[in-house]
Amino acid sequence: MLTSPETQGWEGRMRNWITGTVLGVALAFGGSSALAQQAGTFKYAEQVKLITMDPQQQSGSGVPYLRPVYESLFERGPDGKPVPLLAKAYEVDGLYVTIKLREAISFSNGEAFNAEVAAANINRGVKLAIIEGLKTVESAEAVDEYSVRIKLKEPDPAIIDSLCHTGGMMIAPAAMADPAIDRNPIGTGPYVYSKELSREGEVRVYTPNPTYWDKDKIGLERYEVWELPDDTARLNALKTGQIDAGNWLANPQSAIIDRTPGLKLIRNTGGLNYHIILSDREGTVVPAFADPNVRKAMAHAIDREAFGKAVQFGLAQKSFQPYAEGDWAYDPALEGIYEYDLDKAREFMARSKFPDGFAFDMPSIPIYQSRLEALAGFFKEIGITMNIVPVEPGTLARRSRTTDFPATNLVWATNTDPKFLALRYIYEDAAYNPFKAKPSDELLALARQGLQSVETDVRGPVYKQMASRLADEAFLIFVTNTPILIGVSEKTADNPTVVYRFGEDSINLRGLKAND
Amino acid sequence: MLRLIFQRLVALVPLLFIVSVLTFSFTSLLPSDPVDLIIGDTGTQEQYEIVRERLGMNQPVVVRYFQWLGRAAQGDLGTSFFNSVSVMGAVMQRLPVTLSLTVVSALVAIVVGVSAGIAAALRPRSWIDRLATLGATFGQAVPNFWFGLILVAIFAVNLRWFPATGFTPVSASPWEWLRSVILPSIALGTSSSAAIARQVRSAMVGVLQQDYIRAARAQGLSTRRIILKHALTNAMVPVVAVLSFQITVLLGGALIVEQVFAINGLGTLAIGAVRQQDIPMIQGIVLVMVALVVAVQLATDVIYGLLNPKARPS
Repeated sequence: MLTSPETQGWEGRMRNWITGTVLGVALAFGGSSALAQQAGTFKYAEQVKLITMDPQQQSGSGVPYLRPVYESLFERGPDGKPVPLLAKAYEVDGLYVTIKLREAISFSNGEAFNAEVAAANINRGVKLAIIEGLKTVESAEAVDEYSVRIKLKEPDPAIIDSLCHTGGMMIAPAAMADPAIDRNPIGTGPYVYSKELSREGEVRVYTPNPTYWDKDKIGLERYEVWELPDDTARLNALKTGQIDAGNWLANPQSAIIDRTPGLKLIRNTGGLNYHIILSDREGTVVPAFADPNVRKAMAHAIDREAFGKAVQFGLAQKSFQPYAEGDWAYDPALEGIYEYDLDKAREFMARSKFPDGFAFDMPSIPIYQSRLEALAGFFKEIGITMNIVPVEPGTLARRSRTTDFPATNLVWATNTDPKFLALRYIYEDAAYNPFKAKPSDELLALARQGLQSVETDVRGPVYKQMASRLADEAFLIFVTNTPILIGVSEKTADNPTVVYRFGEDSINLRGLKAND
Repeated sequence: MLRLIFQRLVALVPLLFIVSVLTFSFTSLLPSDPVDLIIGDTGTQEQYEIVRERLGMNQPVVVRYFQWLGRAAQGDLGTSFFNSVSVMGAVMQRLPVTLSLTVVSALVAIVVGVSAGIAAALRPRSWIDRLATLGATFGQAVPNFWFGLILVAIFAVNLRWFPATGFTPVSASPWEWLRSVILPSIALGTSSSAAIARQVRSAMVGVLQQDYIRAARAQGLSTRRIILKHALTNAMVPVVAVLSFQITVLLGGALIVEQVFAINGLGTLAIGAVRQQDIPMIQGIVLVMVALVVAVQLATDVIYGLLNPKARPS
């Protein structure tokens, strides 16, 4: 049942105070020994070029450039659940989220971090409207010196999770006022950005933050992030020891890392789910898409095993749902639900109103071309012709939000909160529902039910049901999951201080020490 | 000669204007949209309109062009669509990198090409000549990016003699600078050295059959002196024209080789700008590249005039 923001059921008031770690003793004793621990350099290579160092204008990849400088209010723990970082605790009360902040923290330029600053940060993020996770936030205000209250537009069980990422990264007031913030970042993080030592477009250099609140966690004299977008160049840099680690997509170079002695390919939690969206699910342009039998036939016709091996170099796993194994919403019961079965696919086609097949257009960008060629081959086996239509790189997302194509293909970050699944694909006004198809009552009810609690234990079963329902309706055809891939040298693999951030292509810098 | 330089500089103005109009027009015709990249996959139509207005992209192309031209005429090439980096700053930061690569590649091309050409010309149809011809054919046929990858695999990854990626500024360490440019320069210069070798051989064979060379020999001049002082000077006249063209080719080739070696030069900047459709950055890069090509041609004319008095403007 749809409820107004004021009356919606949150199953009563939810209070979830999380007590943070007391750091006073550590801070008092950590100062003198800290400098001696700062030694060596760690070099990380990023596959995307740096666009901006303003976290609130960061719309895509590139978080490894920000993490040394900026800390968020919360971060994901080893199990993926939010734990406080700059925050100490939080309380959710209807449409209000109150966050208690750590005290005695300052930005690297000396400005104090307090509730006023935190509220200003969140309000700026809301105003800029780039960060998806802040779209449910109406405003934020300081309650007292170290308490900030966020007012939501609608219930948002994922708000704390959103504050683990760029939406929760705290920027110094001076940096917020600086028009050149994209190259002059100032945060509370363990390192500061050195513009003098960095080379634009090539390498970003970070040095220890002398005012850091937890000095014992600074283990490096210098941290570098290299901009190496060419996969082969990045691989060569890793092989020759020019970098210690770097991130990769599922491509031939990451497959080489996986089988090269002396190198290791880390498969970090999270990653990308590649899927097909039959946007025209009511059959406005392609009537066949309105027939669930056709959709199920298509789902059964894909040999995901072969697809993963041939097109994604053996680095992907079969997928039948939006979540990856290990995620709290993942449902093992859905595994194999659309296993490759050509006979079954043909049976479904024969049962449909389109036994002789049909044709449709599918947009393609260069990196998806080989994937679509493989899929076109699978669909051909059941009489469906998929015409691959190239579109300009960078325009796939926008074109997919229009009625230009009856279907599209995209990736979905599997560590994203499931509530975004409904916002993207399910609701009538969802971003990738350009034909404004009405969701089934069951699906809509489950999507809304998932918003009624902040507890993953409560939400998990709901989203499992939603994934099951999605599988039944089959307008989203999940193909493969690729984990987050980080290529590292042998020394990095053996370095006990290297901790990969849950669901991110970056290393936790707090406590990281050099390999040698 | 000063008049020639002045004429060329004056001619540069309309040339840059035409190039800027063409670049702006062609870039505007591209179907991709930088606003999409800025707002990301989850951006709304409202955000799209806000960013579009901020970048001035809701104005007609002609208006945008003349606004840009007005600023460019005052030396302001604008800032990137994506960050606060000034176009002039970005281009000037990368220019020494690409120039380093181009100059060292040109040196490789000249030294290897001229030496091979002379050696082949001195003993036509000998095994040296055949080897030089084979080498020249190989050099021209092999794509420089592929050759670069092979060089990296052998000399950087396996032997560890040179870095596999990156560029060290000469100011930081002359030795490391040299190590960082050797492999990319060989990869880039090989094709040009092949073209130069063919031209030098052909020109030298012709010059060595001239009467004045026979006269020099009859006077008892040493072979070395005849070749270096009399034959090569005349043979170099057509070679300079080839060299001018090859330097332009090297500038273009640097854009690709920079990718293989992850060198942060104008090529890397250009490719990133084109991918993002960062129009101010593309405009700046194209204008600087055009100015560079014109400068190379001007230098060629000057050298040509020095080598051949008949070619000097009256």
